[in-house]
Amino acid sequence: MPQFDFANVFLSQLVWLAVFFAILYVVVLATLPRLGKVMQAREDQVSSDLDTAEKAKATADKLQADYDAGVAAAQDAARARLTEARTRAAKALEARLAESNAALAARADAAEADLNAARTAAMSEIEAVAADAASDIVEKLTGKRPTPAAASKAARSALA
Amino acid sequence: MAGPMEQFAIDPIYPLEAGGYDVSFTNSSLWMLIALAIVSAFLFVGTRSPKLVPNRWQAAVEYVYDFVRNMLDENVGPEGRRYAPLIFAIFIFVLACNLLGLIPWVGAFTPTSHISVTLGLAFLVFVVVCIVGFARHGLHFFSLFWPKDTFFPLALFVAFIEFVSFLSRPFTLAIRLFANMTAGHVLLKVFGTFVVSLGSFGALPYVFGILPLSMNVALSALEVLIAVVQAYVFALLASIYLNDAVNLH
Repeated sequence: MPQFDFANVFLSQLVWLAVFFAILYVVVLATLPRLGKVMQAREDQVSSDLDTAEKAKATADKLQADYDAGVAAAQDAARARLTEARTRAAKALEARLAESNAALAARADAAEADLNAARTAAMSEIEAVAADAASDIVEKLTGKRPTPAAASKAARSALA
Repeated sequence: MAGPMEQFAIDPIYPLEAGGYDVSFTNSSLWMLIALAIVSAFLFVGTRSPKLVPNRWQAAVEYVYDFVRNMLDENVGPEGRRYAPLIFAIFIFVLACNLLGLIPWVGAFTPTSHISVTLGLAFLVFVVVCIVGFARHGLHFFSLFWPKDTFFPLALFVAFIEFVSFLSRPFTLAIRLFANMTAGHVLLKVFGTFVVSLGSFGALPYVFGILPLSMNVALSALEVLIAVVQAYVFALLASIYLNDAVNLH
């Protein structure tokens, strides 16, 4: 095998390998770090973009939560105001009902009192008329007129 | 007809002598130069104007670079990235030499099928490992060989074995690559001679050559795989040895 003919093949290959590999190493050192920098920059960019996205998502989530909380609070407030208005309206209605009831009762009392007064007046008038009529009838029958006191007493007892 | 070993012959292209030693520019040197040129072109084109969103060339170089960096991250850890250029250079140089030798052309030559070349690369790795180990840990680097919490005579024995295996690393590293490349190329050449000898069977020309030819096609695919895998193995072992030097187990 020519590979083991070290006397003839070893040194020349080793020397040229050393030369070419040294050049290659220099080329690698000249090119790769630039690429590494770009790759690092890309990694940083991606991770910072991810960070930004995460932060934006957190902000969005917070906004959503705030919005939800705001809506819930507004709904609660609206409900509370509605309940309050309803109770107030019910109270007002009750008060007005009570007021009108009282007014109605007062008017009914007044009307009753008027009625009683009228009735009493009418009664006494009827008494007088009845006593008169009885006196007239007695006079016509007996020719003698009873005293007004006796007539009214008799009329009152007859009417009672 | 050329024998299966003739493909490994070293032919001087430009005879050179330095201090009484023969350092001719040979076909091996030529193909190492071609590998260097192609890899350099690949690197320069790929990193001409690096952008955040890479073009195809940049993506290709980045892919290889990322591959090497991941290998170092896995096997050495965070300290490993400092050695990425070296491992990258070794990996891509071996890969280029392996693949260029597979060009089905009579002038093609595989420098990595020569133990002189693979031994040179392996000793480079070995020397770097030793330098890194002694620079980081001083004489404490020798504790690499010492098994912890072991019966003393046994530990002595194990340390001896570990030391020998450490010293044999450059040779195993070199021979693995050289043997794989040589065996593959010999096999290809042997089946190639079968194509000619069976295909020139007079009564039924060409027909019997088809079988070894199809075999050679399949073998070529296998050889491409081996070329890539062996470059990977070389770089992987280099990073594992570096891990010993950096982290001491």
